[in-house]
Amino acid sequence: MSGMIDIVYAEYNYWIYVTLMMIGFYAMIAKKNLIKKVIGANIFQTAIFLFYISLADVTGGTAPIIVGHGGEHAEHAADVIYTNPVPHCLILTAIVVAVSTTAVALALIIRIYNEYGSLEEDVILAARRKLQPEFSEHARQKGVAEVSEQ
Amino acid sequence: MKTLALVVVLITGAMLIYAGHDLPAFGDINSTAYQAPMTQYFIEKSVPESGVPNIVTALLASYRGYDTLGETAVIFTAGMAVMLLLRRRET
Repeated sequence: MSGMIDIVYAEYNYWIYVTLMMIGFYAMIAKKNLIKKVIGANIFQTAIFLFYISLADVTGGTAPIIVGHGGEHAEHAADVIYTNPVPHCLILTAIVVAVSTTAVALALIIRIYNEYGSLEEDVILAARRKLQPEFSEHARQKGVAEVSEQ
Repeated sequence: MKTLALVVVLITGAMLIYAGHDLPAFGDINSTAYQAPMTQYFIEKSVPESGVPNIVTALLASYRGYDTLGETAVIFTAGMAVMLLLRRRET
């Protein structure tokens, strides 16, 4: 039993990120509001950023900036442990991509709101079906089914 | 529909927790990623090779300079997309 607790404690950071990722993933799938979907995507991305940053961490390590460069604190330079700089660099790139996708998604949502007057997915789909009944095979079959039910 | 979404999410989370047991413990200095020759090389050689004391900056701007150049292309494309989506239509 204590072995189990040790395993969970040694890996508690992964539990946090999996929980965050599940929250974001659920919001992306289940929420009907487009803004909430984007928020879910951002929570998902944040979970992955934190996951990588925690992989880079080393107990007792300092930020990966060389100590003693330029003469200051040079006496400590030998026994400093640095955290892993490679995941930090990767995540810096990923954050830029995340910001770009969020910007494009929000711009698309603004356009959708101007066009349909709503952010709710089912309202938008219903309006779309009314405007263009032929916009997809699935919607046409669904529309026929709704008409025949009435 | 929400139940289905919850089931999918819980299965994904369980798979990730299961896969996570192979990952190193939090702050483990003996992890494969930290002891890899590449990481040790960057920590030791980034100042002699690029002259930048911040290793992340050296990696991003020097070793992976072309990747960062491509990254600016990503930001530029996103900015162009936002501008094209949000401009006023002249009708």
